[in-house]
Amino acid sequence: MVDLDVLLADIRSGDPSAFARWMAGAEPTMRDSLRSFAAVVDVEAVLQEALLRTWQIAPRVELDGKTNSLLRVGIRIARNLAVSERRRARSAPSDDDAIDRARAGDPDGTTLPVVPDPHLRQAISKCADALPAQPARALHARIESAGRQDDDTLAAEVGMRKNTFLQNFTRARKLVADCLKRHGIDISLELA
Amino acid sequence: MTTPRDPPLDAVTTAWRPRSPDGAARSHPAWHDLDDEGKREAYEVTRILRSIEAALDPEGLSTTARAVLRRLHGL
Repeated sequence: MVDLDVLLADIRSGDPSAFARWMAGAEPTMRDSLRSFAAVVDVEAVLQEALLRTWQIAPRVELDGKTNSLLRVGIRIARNLAVSERRRARSAPSDDDAIDRARAGDPDGTTLPVVPDPHLRQAISKCADALPAQPARALHARIESAGRQDDDTLAAEVGMRKNTFLQNFTRARKLVADCLKRHGIDISLELA
Repeated sequence: MTTPRDPPLDAVTTAWRPRSPDGAARSHPAWHDLDDEGKREAYEVTRILRSIEAALDPEGLSTTARAVLRRLHGL
């Protein structure tokens, strides 16, 4: 069993590279924990804030004898942020029921991080390498930017109109998924 | 093959998010244009995209993780 708490001492000491390694395993699990909020909050924004706050609170996190203590703390932070965000923006009192259902199921000692699959990684790399030029440019522009710039800026940088950029990006992700299927990999099932 | 929904859906799959005055990540403007089904679909597509990004990154990091790392460094 992978226990990301092996990185906790370095994270507590303020080592961002240790936190980066922690995020590589923890981010998918934290995102999955927010699935039930997907229709009521922008999960990407909530997740980025939750990861940042997890880093900030890490020096005060104590091991509790179970594995992945920091990951479980991160999941609680993420869910509480999602509830706060929804309450800040909500429009109907009936949303409370949805919020209660969504926050049910506190993370326990069986919460597991994601372990990279070298076979899947290699297959994705091959499929991305096989993309036509324009979809590849859109995909790589997003990856290289890593959220630094909005799509208006990225589209201008690669010489596309925004709608063309988005169409190429959509085509890229669908072509990668189709290519993986031809190799016997259904990526949505792999991540289930 | 794209559908009419795809471009606005993929507008929100980026890790870019606007910031509040205190620097916090806020909802993507295009997220509010999606209906509930579209928001759930955007979540699932983003989940898959982040795994693709992590697979293509030398350190196994998605664009979400890279965006957070930049903020740790005060950028």
